[in-house]
Amino acid sequence: MSQRWIGVAFAAAGLLALGAGMLWQQAGNEATASRSTNADGATLFALALPDVAGKDQPMAQWKGKVLVVNFWATWCEPCREEMPRFMKLQEQYGGKGLQFVGIAIDQADKVQQFTTNMHLNYPSLIGGYGGIELSRSFGNALGALPFTLVVDRAGRIVQTKLGPMKDEQLQPIIDQLLLTSSN
Amino acid sequence: MDSNAISTGSTPKPRVEAGRLRRIAFASLAVATLAGAPAAALEPKLLPNERAFAFSARGVDDRTVEARFVIADGYYLYRDRLKFTIEPGALGEASLPPGKPKEDQFFGKVETYRNQLIVKLPLDAAAPGRAVTVNAESQGCADLGVCYPPQTQKVTLTLPAAGGRPGMPVEAAPVKKSWLK
Repeated sequence: MSQRWIGVAFAAAGLLALGAGMLWQQAGNEATASRSTNADGATLFALALPDVAGKDQPMAQWKGKVLVVNFWATWCEPCREEMPRFMKLQEQYGGKGLQFVGIAIDQADKVQQFTTNMHLNYPSLIGGYGGIELSRSFGNALGALPFTLVVDRAGRIVQTKLGPMKDEQLQPIIDQLLLTSSN
Repeated sequence: MDSNAISTGSTPKPRVEAGRLRRIAFASLAVATLAGAPAAALEPKLLPNERAFAFSARGVDDRTVEARFVIADGYYLYRDRLKFTIEPGALGEASLPPGKPKEDQFFGKVETYRNQLIVKLPLDAAAPGRAVTVNAESQGCADLGVCYPPQTQKVTLTLPAAGGRPGMPVEAAPVKKSWLK
């Protein structure tokens, strides 16, 4: 009698485990599916956007570097406020393989005027208003600015951030990623 | 939801209603994902553009539309980035109330609105009983440190007849695109 109960209990436990496993797998598939709707590093490096002079700049030229891609605009004050800090980091770590690239949700003439005035020491490409949709594909659901991606040397997007990126947040990631080789 | 999802203040509805165990499994997976994957930093709670700056309008008389923005707490609109148009027809000069002055290092002196903005928009010519669409272009930011791209919100309303009573406010249609997709 008790043995039979143990058997039933084992069978039930087995079924539960199987069920849980299937649910787990299903949940996993769903998570994978929802993630794949977001663009990844490969999408990023397949892009080419015009610079302020109108010349197309393929993102692939920065592959292998620790890349910080910053969506911004001249009409976005919090964006403008964080750029001098990005310039400092670019100056400090550029030689070690760090590269900032801006994507401006803006017109080329305004970007040119602004970046010349502030002596921006990294390139800013022109995304136009369509750049907002591009940023959405990388997870910027609200389409607000600033929005920043951190990409490792292997081309994986390791961090996305909506809103200003503070030094204490960015610096440790950069330090860590710069130590890692491209595979 | 993946770890990049930004909280917008609304509760996402599960796509499939499938019992508790499933949700537990999902939650465990989410925790595992957060622990193991390169997760996005905690994002501030922010409203979608059209809810941060909710636009509505009503016909006051046969040649006047009243436009209104209800601006959520902690958000502001730029005065000089507001633009109103009407179809069919044309608007005369609208007098925007003075905003709160703000010094901008790039644009110089700018003015911003908070809480609520009400503007009377005079039509070029009377159009009693006519259905019109009012387009409001605006651009604003949140104190949390983000700015939204310019957006255009539309309201279709019927102007009162000559000497008729003012119409009821009409809210701009919500943007169809959901962040959940």
